[in-house]
Amino acid sequence: MNLQVVGANLVVSIKSFYRDKTVVFFRIAFPVILILVFGTIFMERDNEIFDLYVQDLDQTESSAQIVKAIGLSGRFKITHVSPDVNAAQYAKDNKRNLVLVIPKGSEASLMHRMGLNDPDTFVSLTQIYDPSSFGVSTKIQVLHMVLAGINQKMSGKPPFIKTAEISILTKKYRFIEFFVPGIIAMAVMTASLYGSVNVNAELRQKGVIRKLSTTPITRTDWILSNVLYQFILAVISTIVMLLVSYSVFKVSLEINAWMLVFVALDVFAFVGLGMILTSVAKEAESAAAAADALMFPMMFLSGTFFPVEMMPEFLQTFAKVLPLYYVNEGLRASMVSVDHMAALRYAAAIGVFAAVVFILGMRITSLSEEVT
Amino acid sequence: MSKETEYAIEVERLTKRYGELPAVNDISFTVRKGEVFAFLGVNGAGKTTTVEIIETIRTPTSGKVSLLEMDATKRKRDIVPRIGVLPQGFNSFDRITVRETIQYYSRLFSCRNSDIDGLIELVDLKEKAKVQFKDLSGGLKQRLGIAVALVNDPEVVFLDEPTTGLDPRSRREVWEVLLGLKNKGKTVFLTTHYMEEAELLADRVAIIAKGKIIAMDSPAKLIEDNANYMILTLQSVEESASGIIRKIGFEPVHDTHRNIKVRLEHTDDVQKILHAIKDGGASFLGLDVRKPNLEEVFLKLTGETLQENPAGERGAG
Repeated sequence: MNLQVVGANLVVSIKSFYRDKTVVFFRIAFPVILILVFGTIFMERDNEIFDLYVQDLDQTESSAQIVKAIGLSGRFKITHVSPDVNAAQYAKDNKRNLVLVIPKGSEASLMHRMGLNDPDTFVSLTQIYDPSSFGVSTKIQVLHMVLAGINQKMSGKPPFIKTAEISILTKKYRFIEFFVPGIIAMAVMTASLYGSVNVNAELRQKGVIRKLSTTPITRTDWILSNVLYQFILAVISTIVMLLVSYSVFKVSLEINAWMLVFVALDVFAFVGLGMILTSVAKEAESAAAAADALMFPMMFLSGTFFPVEMMPEFLQTFAKVLPLYYVNEGLRASMVSVDHMAALRYAAAIGVFAAVVFILGMRITSLSEEVT
Repeated sequence: MSKETEYAIEVERLTKRYGELPAVNDISFTVRKGEVFAFLGVNGAGKTTTVEIIETIRTPTSGKVSLLEMDATKRKRDIVPRIGVLPQGFNSFDRITVRETIQYYSRLFSCRNSDIDGLIELVDLKEKAKVQFKDLSGGLKQRLGIAVALVNDPEVVFLDEPTTGLDPRSRREVWEVLLGLKNKGKTVFLTTHYMEEAELLADRVAIIAKGKIIAMDSPAKLIEDNANYMILTLQSVEESASGIIRKIGFEPVHDTHRNIKVRLEHTDDVQKILHAIKDGGASFLGLDVRKPNLEEVFLKLTGETLQENPAGERGAG
């Protein structure tokens, strides 16, 4: 290994990087934009107040009290719908995903139940909803919880079953704290895989590798300088993502040595995978297409954007064979739950994968035209 | 012992097959130190394959290749620091400037004392020293490639199709640089399909066709041995002249500009043809009598014409 050669290669790679604004955007700015956009969306959802359209056909003191009680739950912003319109048509015409209809005779039913102490008398509120609307089922669930609470209060008896919450984490965490480690893992994976494919396939196609094969640079010098370059950029990109997350969302994430370990393993694993892809698919375009085919399922199935527990069981099993899953979970174990033993387990899993693909990638990568 | 010091390159019975296809078929030649040696052939003749084997990029199927008295198949590490290579269609890192590119290659060769400014001046790129590679024209890229090939002050320089795809002006600019190398006494191995280039630059030329060397000597000797005749060219000739010339026993050949070419064995034949045309009442605008050039020798030996590759296209010669 010749450090002067490694250094020369590193300098060329870094200069090529900062002189290409598109690469700088996708490498540094794009992950930050993802954090800003998704962070903003999901910060809103953490404390979401739903819009609820209510049509009161009874127009009595009791029905007004029901509407008021729903509003007091703090989960709904209530808009009144005129009793003169057809509620279903109103929902359709105005794209309202949920309209709650309080029927005529509600107060009479309530009086009957309370006056005659008849527990079989009830009032049925109609929910007119759009099943194609994203999030309407959550809104209906919240409404049911609120109505259950109102029913409980109206009964005049304290509830028998109460709940108490004990978090396994020391602080209260929000979606953004889950999201940022996932984006770090994904951004490092994308850049390492594409970087490796570009360096090895594009330069080969352009004939630069052929020229380099007539110089004293060795395969080890070449690969080492590329890994170092990817690692430096991964660290810079991670720092920028964290700075934005701390300053904009005031995230509560632990920074420790594990983070660097997982970033390094992420780089090694995906640079190695990139070297293998490039050797299998000689053309730059087909290598990039193969990288896409590997990356997209990994992004969505390995818990980058949402927890794998939300997926069906067979997909959860599949997620556990994806290397990015271990980087995601490892980063969360070190940055969110600060569970060092869990971080160690995930580091061991991704470490073994990184070692295997990197050694394999090194063995089949060659600067020669013939030996690949 | 004298042989060891005389030759920079020795190739003996070299063969390279891709599957059943022989790209290079049992060729042997030597290149003397300080000599400019040109490999001349059409695309696909085996030029690039041969040069890449000598440069240690490819391995031969059989045969022996010795470069600077070292086995090219076994001593790549020792050979590479002593040679300079301009590959076909030289390319480099897009966003690195001319000066930085030369510096980069200089570091790869661990040359602390490379004269970067001298190399930039040698290839006349002083004004473009801060221009990024992607913004250079084809000719400037090739000139930079030559500077890069010289960064380690090599004993042998390989130039694979150095002017392919360049416009005539850029080509002449590159030739100027190559003539400078020749005057410096560098051993240069040149592959080309431009006759003019080989004739201008090379001390010796090997003509290669279908993987075989079919002739090898100095350009002048090749012409003398293979073209002991003259060519009379009559410019803008009337149609009837062909018949007149044919009648007195010569075989006229028309080109696309209403010119007629006639192959002559003796100088007296010129007078004979001119008199016949005058007597026949035909006319022409001008005439030219000359010895054949390397292109005509090539044509005669190979039956193939040398054609330009589309700009930028690469092919394993």
